[in-house]
Amino acid sequence: MTDWNAMSDAEFRKEVHQFFETEYPEELRHLPHRPKFAEIEHWHRKLHTKGWVAPAWPAEYGGMGLNAAKLLIFYEEQQRGGVNRGRDMGVQMVGPLIIKFGTQKQKDYWLPRILSCEDIWCQGYSEPGAGSDLANLRTRAEIDGDDFVINGQKIWTTMAHDASHIFMLVRTDPNAPKKQQGISFLLAPMDQPGVDVRTITTLSGETEFCEVFFDNARTPRENLVGELNKGWSMAKALLSFERIFIGSPSLAQNALGQLESFARGRGAYDDPVFRDRFAQAALDVEDHAALYARFADQLKRGETLGADVSMLKIWVTECFQRITELMIEAAGPDGGTVGPLQVGNVSVDVLASFYKARPTTIYGGSNEIQRNILSKAVLGLPD
Amino acid sequence: MLSSDQEDLRLLRESARTLFERAGGSGRARKLRDASGGWDSDMIGELAGAGVFGVTVPEANGGLGMGLAAGGVIAEEVGRVIAPEPVVLTIGLSLGLLRRLRPDHPKMEQLINGETTLAVAWQERGPGGAPADATCRYADGKLTGSKAWVVGAAGSHGFLVVAGGQNGPVLVLTEATADGLSVDKRVQADGSSLGELSFSGTPAEQLAEGSAVQDALAEAISDVTALAAAELVGLSDRAFEITLDYIKTREQFDKPIGSFQVIQHRAVDLNVMLEVAQACVREVLAQMDCETVPKIRARLASRAKARAVTAAKKITRDAIQLHGAVGYTDEFDIGLYLNRALVLSAWLGDDVYHRRIWLDAREEEGVAQ
Ligand SMILES: Cc1cc2nc3c(=O)[nH]c(=O)nc-3n(C[C@H](O)[C@H](O)[C@H](O)COP(=O)(O)OP(=O)(O)OC[C@H]3O[C@@H](n4cnc5c(N)ncnc54)[C@H](O)[C@@H]3O)c2cc1C
Repeated sequence: MTDWNAMSDAEFRKEVHQFFETEYPEELRHLPHRPKFAEIEHWHRKLHTKGWVAPAWPAEYGGMGLNAAKLLIFYEEQQRGGVNRGRDMGVQMVGPLIIKFGTQKQKDYWLPRILSCEDIWCQGYSEPGAGSDLANLRTRAEIDGDDFVINGQKIWTTMAHDASHIFMLVRTDPNAPKKQQGISFLLAPMDQPGVDVRTITTLSGETEFCEVFFDNARTPRENLVGELNKGWSMAKALLSFERIFIGSPSLAQNALGQLESFARGRGAYDDPVFRDRFAQAALDVEDHAALYARFADQLKRGETLGADVSMLKIWVTECFQRITELMIEAAGPDGGTVGPLQVGNVSVDVLASFYKARPTTIYGGSNEIQRNILSKAVLGLPD
Repeated sequence: MLSSDQEDLRLLRESARTLFERAGGSGRARKLRDASGGWDSDMIGELAGAGVFGVTVPEANGGLGMGLAAGGVIAEEVGRVIAPEPVVLTIGLSLGLLRRLRPDHPKMEQLINGETTLAVAWQERGPGGAPADATCRYADGKLTGSKAWVVGAAGSHGFLVVAGGQNGPVLVLTEATADGLSVDKRVQADGSSLGELSFSGTPAEQLAEGSAVQDALAEAISDVTALAAAELVGLSDRAFEITLDYIKTREQFDKPIGSFQVIQHRAVDLNVMLEVAQACVREVLAQMDCETVPKIRARLASRAKARAVTAAKKITRDAIQLHGAVGYTDEFDIGLYLNRALVLSAWLGDDVYHRRIWLDAREEEGVAQ
């Protein structure tokens, strides 16, 4: 097993770059949509054989065991190469939670299946009445013999129509004194009569997310992760991980690269007004990376991240949105046109980037919620 | 010049709003998009019946003679229900050209009566994909070359084409079914399409030639730009209303999200943005009705479009944010407004483009001194 962390950063970057450069299928680079698993299965197999499916997981569970610095490089190269993240909710979200809170039996059973994508996961947290106020969730799970019986509805479940399993927050004690209590973290199979998935079309015409209805759906009791009624704090621990992940510079960096080649091709790049705005965006990205590195160092030293990590997400998602607005601007009369726009030998799907940037300020805790967190938990402002 | 008083405009607004609402409001736009991405020819007939297309055409030429201010009222109502019919295109550009160059031509009456729709092909695409100088030629009754970004190309009966002729620029008319004409459609965010036309010896009728063509085109572009600004104002107005309703009713943390001060301030900012845009665009349209110097009219139009695009961008983007995930769905109407705003913003120049034009014009006029 290679000790990646022992390599120099430059060496490691080269190795990762080379692999993505030579092995990643050209037709899948910079996919404008979220692929179904079948579309990227071939690539996933390659990654799996290479042992690179889970860069952040410890090596003992089949991950690469990368430290924060190496992980950053890995994601940078992945983004730069336009390499699709694949169906990574298992790797990014359930896996770490099972590693942290699961039993040995759960680890032995689920983790290899996540790596091989034998199970494909979706995240069932949000409900119609529980978005920003997630603790308001109502989906019930009741113990019945060896099973939990689940009733209720999840919504905005990304790629649920192409998932075999759902990890979810459910209410297991409706009489708990506080909303945050009485919530548990459950794993459930999707392929059963009590689970009904309906896709929701996005405003760009994609079907990326779904409603999931549970009508006496069942899952074995052993699929409870962690303690009963203690799901909230576990999920929150995971959310801070998600926040550094969506606070990473990659999406904005990638969009900036596309903006630059597009604007050069279209001539917008020579315009002094555009140049100033481009420079602003480029520096916003670069300086954000400096702040990101500060948090990454904290992780590297083994410290846990505080609430202040929220500022990464606020900055980078809003920056990403500004970059895509600049793409539209550079497109001039083509700014309302759907699909790839050709300039010279580059092709940039301006609106796909624009649409992709919109919900980044909504999901993963909306930017308003992040600002609430910062003002209270970091600045100590009174209620 | 042509102008109408506030009471006329109020009545016009009322009747246009009733007409669109009775026809199904924004729900109609959704249905048409899902069906074909086109428009409804019955609706064109109804609009024509209400005098909509001839609103700025002098009475002597079969119109209502109410001026651009009245055109703006209609454009705002079109924007509010995101109607896909080529109303602003016809009032501003097709009739804008014809009424200046050929008020005698039978197409005038047909356009006003809603019997026909004509798209206007005046821009060309250069090697980098950006706009470039005209190379499309007209000789011996035939067109050769190509035109880009033709709004309404998909449903129109014919095209008014600005091309280079033997004695300078010409305006010619060609039928949609003419030989040697091919139309490549590029789908837009709102389901409409832009046409890229290519002509190879396509027969066309010459309507006008010489510098008058250029002058009329510049004037018509000023008109249509200001009207597109009004359409964006109407669109923003409705997008804001929808959002205001939503934040009053959506509850999280046991309260309407509109009770959070952050949301309240955001809503107020959007409202101020909207009111400024509406005041600007209405003032511009009224001034354009009284102004005769083409350069000043162009500067005014740029002012309107710059403001309207700035406001529409901000309002439609924030509207999505304030809706949360439902704002990102197709099911909720707010997304239709965002998509239409994308298209109207890119059409005829965005805010950045028009701010530049405005400043250049201002310097040239010496307004700065
Ligand atoms: C593309 C996409 C993919 C998603 N994927 C998943 C998924 O896979 N699984 C899953 O479980 N969920 C998913 N979500 C849901 C996401 O987590 C929620 O959208 C998010 O939590 C916000 O909830 P909401 O949409 O109900 O908005 P609401 O909570 O209703 O918020 C509406 C608006 O009000 C603001 N607001 C709310 N409360 C406050 C407050 N206290 N102070 C100030 N402002 C406030 C919000 O910031 C927002 O602007 C996804 C969402 C999107 C858009």
